[in-house]
Amino acid sequence: MINYTHRQAGHCESGATSNLLNYYGINMSEPMAFGIGNGLYFSYIPFLKVQFAPMISFRNLPNTVFHRSMKYLGIEATVIKKFRDPKEAMVALDRNLEKGIPTGMQVGVFNLTFFPPEYRMHYNMHNLVCYGKEGDLYHISDTVMETAQVLTYEDLLRVRYAKGVFAPEGKMYWIDKIPNELDIKSAVSMGIKKTVYEMIKIPFPLIGVKGLKWMGRDLRKWPKKHGVDKASFYLGQVLRMAEDFGTGGAGFRFIYGDFLKEAGEKFNHTELLEASQMMGKTANKWREFTYIGARNCKNRSKPEEDYGMLGDMMHEIAGMEEQVYKKLDKIKL
Amino acid sequence: MEENPNPVYKDQRYGQSKELLYSYDADGQFHKNVGFHGEPDRIILQQAWDHFDERIADARQRVLAGKASPIVYYMEKFLADPLNLSMMAGISIWRVKWHLRPGAFKRLNEKTLKKYADAFNITVAQLKKVE
Repeated sequence: MINYTHRQAGHCESGATSNLLNYYGINMSEPMAFGIGNGLYFSYIPFLKVQFAPMISFRNLPNTVFHRSMKYLGIEATVIKKFRDPKEAMVALDRNLEKGIPTGMQVGVFNLTFFPPEYRMHYNMHNLVCYGKEGDLYHISDTVMETAQVLTYEDLLRVRYAKGVFAPEGKMYWIDKIPNELDIKSAVSMGIKKTVYEMIKIPFPLIGVKGLKWMGRDLRKWPKKHGVDKASFYLGQVLRMAEDFGTGGAGFRFIYGDFLKEAGEKFNHTELLEASQMMGKTANKWREFTYIGARNCKNRSKPEEDYGMLGDMMHEIAGMEEQVYKKLDKIKL
Repeated sequence: MEENPNPVYKDQRYGQSKELLYSYDADGQFHKNVGFHGEPDRIILQQAWDHFDERIADARQRVLAGKASPIVYYMEKFLADPLNLSMMAGISIWRVKWHLRPGAFKRLNEKTLKKYADAFNITVAQLKKVE
């Protein structure tokens, strides 16, 4: 078995990335991996329904964090997107483990046996790392859990070939070779640049800050358009995506703020530190939004008034975030 | 963040695992804490499960009354919608929607029934009746 350290993390993929890098002797925290791999994102797609409510995503497409952080840091890594034959995918994993390479995988959550039962939904963008095999049992490091776990061959095969939207199809990834010197500064700079681009510069109204504003506008219309029950369920979906499903709180805003702070301290950059304070305040605003939204979901009192206020709050949050990204846009590292 | 494992959830199995949560305090520091989700986070998650349970109970009623095919019940129990189910069973979404009628379900051949049963991880005999 490989001597792999399991550390708990807020977000599955950046946690897996940072743990993999730590295994190869690079000291990288979870927020750092998250920021370099630009996990921060927002999209609101009202015409696509996930779990009976509009699709809202606070994260990038699966495997973005790993792929981009490797690219920006200049590390050689392999990503195999798809195996047609499930057995072949397992053979490839066994081969890797024999060579002593901890391997990350994309899996579906629904049939994952050790996962907390309250999150048992059709969500196929979860990531975990396999680092050992003993007989029929695979040793798994899932960053959502406090301790390392084990899975049987059949269970692992089932979750790796979960069906549905964004099906994993046996996707796996691992690190091949680390260069002698890592240029973390340029990686951070590139990561921030890309995140700023994705949050404010994409010319499409449903992505990034524009998406937040659009959602704020829609939020006010929900009680009239869909009725109180459905509106409260839709609002719940926004909050669930932001708070519950492995984001570390406030839709990754805390993690991103921590990344800015760590980078600022590392390179002694005051403007980055200021941006991190702004991000922290935005994140606390998100938490406030959750408090009020959850109270609304529980009581369902005076819906029109409440939703109007929540819509205003969403606009305020979008404005605050826009300020942060505009500040980050001007920063030169 | 809370110390207590389970004050809101109706199901006793829920909310037992500790997670890593971040926070930002007035002193300008980000903190990592290992603990349970706070009350608002639990209320919204419980709301989702209430919604799903309602849908399952409603589907069961309709199936027992003969107004819907058993696939509807198992689909709701599996938290799937027709699009998800069509991907899981490998049947086109229009056919899945057609099979949600009781009459269409009765005429299904063994091969298609097997596909649905495999998707739900049950036997064909179980698929045909709803308990």
